[in-house]
Amino acid sequence: MTVSAPASVAELQALVRDSERIHAIGNGSKTALHSGLNGATHADLTKLSGIIEYQPAEYTVTVRAGTPVRELSAALREQGQYLPCDPLLPESATIGGTVAGNLSGSRRYRYGGVRDFILGAAVVDGLGRAFRVGGKVVKNSAGFDLSKFLVGSLGAYAIMTELTFKVFPDVPRFRSLAFDYERLEDALAAIYFINQNIFELDALDLKPLENSWQLLTRLAGFDETLPQRLERFSAAVMSHTSLLKIAELDDSVTLWDPLADLRGAHLVKVALSPKQVPDFDRRITAAQRRYGVGGNVAWVATENLSQVDDALQACSLTGLCLRGAVESAVIGAPVENVLASRVKQVLDPHGKLV
Amino acid sequence: MNRAFIAALESIYPADRLLTREVELLPYESDALTAFSAVPGAVVLPVNEAEIIDTVRLCHEQAVPFVARGSGTSLSGGSLPIPDGLTIGLNRLNRIKKLDPEQRIAVVEPGVINLAITEAAQPYGLYYAPDPSSQSICTIGGNIAFNSGGAHCLKYGMTSNHVLGMKVVLADGALTQFGGESIEGVGIGPDLIGLFVGSEGLFGIALEITVRLMPQPELYRTVLAAYDDLGRAGDAVSMVVASGLLPGAMEIMDRLAIKAAEASVQAGYPDAEALLIVELEGEAPQVEAEFDQLRGIIDESGAFEVRVANDEEERTRIWKGRKGAFSAVGRLSPDYIVQDGVVPRSRLGEALVEISALKEKYQLEVANVFHAGDGNLHPLILYDGREDGALEKAEALAGEILALCIRLGGSITGEHGIGMEKRDYLPAMFSEEEIDIMQALRLAIDPKEIANRGKMFPGGEAPALAQHGMHPLERAGVISRE
Amino acid sequence: MATAIEKCVHCGFCLAACPTYSLLGEEMDSPRGRIYLMKNVLEERLEAQDAQPYIDRCLGCMACVPACPSGVEYGDLLVSYRGAQEESRRRPPLDALARKLVIEALPYPKRFRLAAQTGAIGRVISDALPAAFASMLNLLPEKLPPRLPLPPVLPAQGERRGVVALLPGCVQQVLAPAINYAAAQVLAANGIEVHSPPDAGCCGSILLHIGAEREAQKIARRNFTVFPRDIDAIITTAAGCGSGINDYELLFKGEPDAESATAFADRVMDFGAYLAELGLLAPAGFKSERRVAYQDACHLLHAQGIQSQPRTLLRQIPNLRLLSIADAGMCCGSAGTYNIDQPDIAAALGRRKVESILAAEPDLVASGNIGCITQLRQQLALLGNPLPVMHIAELLWRAYQGDR
Repeated sequence: MTVSAPASVAELQALVRDSERIHAIGNGSKTALHSGLNGATHADLTKLSGIIEYQPAEYTVTVRAGTPVRELSAALREQGQYLPCDPLLPESATIGGTVAGNLSGSRRYRYGGVRDFILGAAVVDGLGRAFRVGGKVVKNSAGFDLSKFLVGSLGAYAIMTELTFKVFPDVPRFRSLAFDYERLEDALAAIYFINQNIFELDALDLKPLENSWQLLTRLAGFDETLPQRLERFSAAVMSHTSLLKIAELDDSVTLWDPLADLRGAHLVKVALSPKQVPDFDRRITAAQRRYGVGGNVAWVATENLSQVDDALQACSLTGLCLRGAVESAVIGAPVENVLASRVKQVLDPHGKLV
Repeated sequence: MNRAFIAALESIYPADRLLTREVELLPYESDALTAFSAVPGAVVLPVNEAEIIDTVRLCHEQAVPFVARGSGTSLSGGSLPIPDGLTIGLNRLNRIKKLDPEQRIAVVEPGVINLAITEAAQPYGLYYAPDPSSQSICTIGGNIAFNSGGAHCLKYGMTSNHVLGMKVVLADGALTQFGGESIEGVGIGPDLIGLFVGSEGLFGIALEITVRLMPQPELYRTVLAAYDDLGRAGDAVSMVVASGLLPGAMEIMDRLAIKAAEASVQAGYPDAEALLIVELEGEAPQVEAEFDQLRGIIDESGAFEVRVANDEEERTRIWKGRKGAFSAVGRLSPDYIVQDGVVPRSRLGEALVEISALKEKYQLEVANVFHAGDGNLHPLILYDGREDGALEKAEALAGEILALCIRLGGSITGEHGIGMEKRDYLPAMFSEEEIDIMQALRLAIDPKEIANRGKMFPGGEAPALAQHGMHPLERAGVISRE
Repeated sequence: MATAIEKCVHCGFCLAACPTYSLLGEEMDSPRGRIYLMKNVLEERLEAQDAQPYIDRCLGCMACVPACPSGVEYGDLLVSYRGAQEESRRRPPLDALARKLVIEALPYPKRFRLAAQTGAIGRVISDALPAAFASMLNLLPEKLPPRLPLPPVLPAQGERRGVVALLPGCVQQVLAPAINYAAAQVLAANGIEVHSPPDAGCCGSILLHIGAEREAQKIARRNFTVFPRDIDAIITTAAGCGSGINDYELLFKGEPDAESATAFADRVMDFGAYLAELGLLAPAGFKSERRVAYQDACHLLHAQGIQSQPRTLLRQIPNLRLLSIADAGMCCGSAGTYNIDQPDIAAALGRRKVESILAAEPDLVASGNIGCITQLRQQLALLGNPLPVMHIAELLWRAYQGDR
């Protein structure tokens, strides 16, 4: 396997032109995405790093794709802002990998995911052409929005070199509550109750405990309003759902890292809807798991990937394997799509990008 | 339109849903951008998915260009017919197929009116967030084609950010589906929703759309601040942004726009050079605390009058004036162009000064309405189409404003799209190679270029500019204008 | 006319408010489309007769007027256009006959009474008649109610708070004399002296509505001189009369008596609006709770902007619970003679309206217009639903009588 680390867009273009098959990689934090590539040249993007333009007053930031998420977050934090799509691996991922994998953490619940905060990008496609897609301002509807298309594209259509995001002011005051339920159905009913209510949560995750299900909730806001909001919220949930117990937890980064407790050779992300959770969950009870974003994402850690694959197939769901060596990172129901293949035909007709 | 094609349409549609007589076609010749008009060869009014699919496949087979149309409210000429092409009116596909308040989603047909979703969701304490000014009539299908925005986009985004799943028929008749009921949308694999939304009808027709609903905020706090200087209103926006507040909406109107809105809905706006509307929304305790902070900022910003909506009725009145402002300008001028450009928010003041200079240069009135929170300008250029060369002059001014937006690092359209109106400006924003790639993409999906032919890309067939100047009856002395 | 057409910026905001567009979903059957058609006819790009069916389908409900941000005076446009086209228009013989019946009979209570009685006999053979006639006959009750004559002057009860005269109207006096009777009693109970001049009659609105301008002028003139000078207002209980009289300025433009026409028009006021402005003296009310749906007549709501006044009155009735109904601003399909001209659309709109009323589960329905009342009753009868529908004046009168 050849690894090459271009230091400029021009070098990346040349690399693409000169390679037969090429695979983009950042810090390599999601090992499964970089396995099973049968000797494709690795384009290491970590040299294409750094913030290009950050204008807090515009709520926009433009960074090179190989920039570590950690570096970007620190710069935003200095200005009291954050990336609300909450990149999943804040300590190890690059921002390009976060977009390519469409990987958000729990705080994505409040304002939206990667697709909701990406504004534009610069890319090099499979023909080695370098061009821009989208825009650099918070609102833009000129041309086809290929920047959103890049979200989740796994580098298979074009390699990102630069990304522009919308960012928001952050209110870094949090309180977290845990509600325990006997059955999954009860916990989901609580999610449905919250969904139809006025409470604006910062995050809402669900995880199985030994004999019960725990709903993790987090409120963000001003110090002076949090006690009252917490009070109202917990009272409403207590009176409308059949819970076992309620507890305030120490709010911490670990508490809200959906992967913190998940151990297993493989880690799989699944996008699903809350009503698909019960059927899926009963098929993977052997695996460690946590449901994020109000039951819209499943994180599954397992030693037995084929069991998860079977469960996904049975539920017509697709998963993305992030950890461990696999033949194909995409498992479960196939995602082939006629529209996507037309784009591939234009951006990478020779199938170089893998 | 050739006879064989009409005959084929007759096998899909009963006579009352296949319009071919002149009297039936003329009312479809323009959308809300009346500067352009083109008579379609026929209009069909499908009532189900199968009819749409059959129609698109037929168009592809016979290489007949088509445009899908909802309520015809596009301000960029997006639903302008293709001369002698087919117009597919989707407004009868207006069923909300599913509303699941527990998961906060709705599944709708493309002809469903934007506001109808909110009305259906309201009993469950939910609403559909994107709120273009025409929300009472514009359809979701059109919102998808043009990635419509509205006043409340800053916080929760535009149409694209609220679509979770779609079923579409591509221009060559291929059927496909992506996304679903998860808030993640497509989730695994490239975000096809993001690509399709905003493609201006060039890729195909959305047949079924899953949208996400949001919980209605517990409390709105809407503040109306009056300034004797437009720049000061702009500065106030910067101050709000710098404070770390994230309002749901920030809107500015200038004197002329205020005058028009006032004439239209008697919103009770103060007499001012500029009005700023700032709206906070969310949980009551948090909003009240934010409101205290906002009051302080507004008081410091030099507003000479500040009003706060005390109830829903007052809030509605403030917004009604703003939302009707475009059309209300029809009261002040026989003709006008609605422009839609974006500048970085911090350069709003600069943009306004330049627009003001352009006004002088062209000796035309310009009313300004804009989504200040996201730097989205809507200058309304007033002209009188009866004067020779007035339209051309107004268009030249509009062109300069767009050039200005690009120069300041913005965009030529924030939410109305390129459509017919701005297709010649696309090269100002994208390089030749970028446009070639977009064109190649279009050809890969629509090899015969039948879907909304003539829109978005520069050149193509020249559209008919609407008739201006003396009315024939005026010339004959039959009528006069007071 | 040209000004009104010019003002339209084609934004489409009117489409949401238009009953025919909501039903038919075609641009030609929307206000924007109709304006466009009228424009093309005036510019000689279209033949008037081609555009006519779509113009005819307009209910004239005026819901598009308040919905229009540009301020297009659609009502004026429609009236002028219809008037201008009527002169050159050729109608199929049966339509022409029906129309002639409308012009010759409806405005004249005596003739109408006679026709109505004949109609009741005709019902037996209505199935054999063309649709236009059949629908006309369907509107008529089995048996006409007895006349309820009012004295020339009905004295105020208690302290006198005002003096008014009643505009008797045309069709309404024959089909529902109880409305004016109840209105007079309610007014009197509120300390208002009520005059009923014997020679007063039809205001001509119904003729203006169908483009019969000259006939409308002729009949309207008769009212200019018959009302006493020293009264506070001329009260109408029919929404169509009130809004039609607002158009007198247009109808009499250039006529020698234009001034008398506008002077007359300025004195006319809707029953509910007058009473709400003066302030209602609280009635006894109902013994048990009554759930009441109020149906907005287009010619009150859209043409005259009367929305809160009748509701204010109803809310003051003890034990009355005012319900809100979905799409309250959408026409019920009655719209003057629309029932007769466009029976299918009228029926579809009527059905829709009744469905949204029934969804609110009322005990009774009140409206400010005989046309709406007739339409709702007819649609309810088709569903076999006995829900009572009455004029707001009749409801108030019941409340004053202590709900006997």
